[in-house]
Amino acid sequence: MTQPLLSIDDLHKSYGSEEVLEGVGLEMDQGDVTVLIGPSGSGKSTLLRCVNRLTEINSGRIALDGQDVTGAETDVNELRKQVGMVFQDFNLFAHLTALENVTLGPKKVLGMDAADAEAAGRNHLEQVGLLEQADSYPAELSGGQKQRVGIARALAMDPELLLFDEPTSALDPELVGEVVEVMRDLADEGITMLVVSHEMDFARSAASDIVFLDDGEIVEHGPPEQLFQNPTADRTEQFLSRLHAHEETA
Amino acid sequence: MAAILLQAADWLFVIDNMGLLLGGTVVTIALTVASILLGFVVGFPAGAIEVYGSDRARRVVEQIGVVLRGTPLLVIIMILYFGLSISSSAFVTATIALGLRSAAYQSQIFRGALQSVDDGQLEAARAVAMSRFEAIRHVVVPQALRRSVPGFQNEFTIVLKDTSIAIVIGIGELLTTGQNLYEGGQSTAALEIFLAVSLVYFVLTFATNRSLDRLSDYYAVPEGTT
Repeated sequence: MTQPLLSIDDLHKSYGSEEVLEGVGLEMDQGDVTVLIGPSGSGKSTLLRCVNRLTEINSGRIALDGQDVTGAETDVNELRKQVGMVFQDFNLFAHLTALENVTLGPKKVLGMDAADAEAAGRNHLEQVGLLEQADSYPAELSGGQKQRVGIARALAMDPELLLFDEPTSALDPELVGEVVEVMRDLADEGITMLVVSHEMDFARSAASDIVFLDDGEIVEHGPPEQLFQNPTADRTEQFLSRLHAHEETA
Repeated sequence: MAAILLQAADWLFVIDNMGLLLGGTVVTIALTVASILLGFVVGFPAGAIEVYGSDRARRVVEQIGVVLRGTPLLVIIMILYFGLSISSSAFVTATIALGLRSAAYQSQIFRGALQSVDDGQLEAARAVAMSRFEAIRHVVVPQALRRSVPGFQNEFTIVLKDTSIAIVIGIGELLTTGQNLYEGGQSTAALEIFLAVSLVYFVLTFATNRSLDRLSDYYAVPEGTT
């Protein structure tokens, strides 16, 4: 078989004496949509940030397309061209319009000329349903719109893998749907996505794999129907029932 | 009382000598602009080093800044001119003294502005594969410059008026030119001259601050969460 797009092996990460990831292993094939769930502080976001090296690991191995991600000789900027990221707090460039947010990377990093970058940028904004807001600044957009621009910005680099770090957690409940819808479209298009999210709606309908992380280790890993219907570990079951209780009250 | 102090004849004396005062004004403007520019060229990188530099570079820059900010401008000018004799031109020496002192203050304006930009901005720029330098240059600096305008307006006003200290090395700028007009008893128009000189300082300050406000408005972006 072909090699996996992303493979993570025995990953360890500590902050001081606090071990956040205790030997995590994970593989993703092209087109996979893997959703990481788990309690706050379980290491989900840290795991995600290790993949594009916003966080440096202590030991273990991460490979993208067979290329070592964490080696000293790896060019981190070359790696990040292949790995897009969508942030919980959007982090749109405040001084740039939606379109400029999307075109900055292609222009400055990929060396695209302005006209090409703009044309491509408009396509990406259209893809997330925001072509009309192309000239709006981040502060003029709703949370859901901001996050959709954030997704378009990541797509504009044409990455092999998209990372989503709790993309809907900072949103008002009524704005979650529009972001989830865009993410589901991307999943349908076959974009490989590693997603930290408790958005069960998305996890059930778009994920190929669910990974339950607790206390820095992977407790359970499986397709959504299996993991949600018949979790094998007690910890998974407890976590899911808390999550359901919360969903029903929300 | 005011009528005695502000005599018509004295105002005529001011008007007669307007040419001299304007000459002093030109020197003041030239000295201010040159010093502010030098202060920017040195102060902006210094502020950036204080935020992004290595520990060692940061320490060096901070210490130079502390010394420059802690030394009276008068002393800096005298040391540069009479002590180190860095230039035979009094104007060049005064520009360097005012410029370095301004750089020490401007570095703090820019340091604060750079630090005020949310870390998430830098992180997002790194995530689209920009190098640290590119991320700072294309994402952090444009936002920081916008936020440094109010502090910069202050600094301009301070440098403008501190140019008068250049008299100690013989530069006849606006205030000195005014003083020379009545000293030695040629005229009783002391108060009128000072009022006229103050008016010129006011007009310069006002016009510059307004221009910077305009510039700031032109480049303004809507504020809020990103």
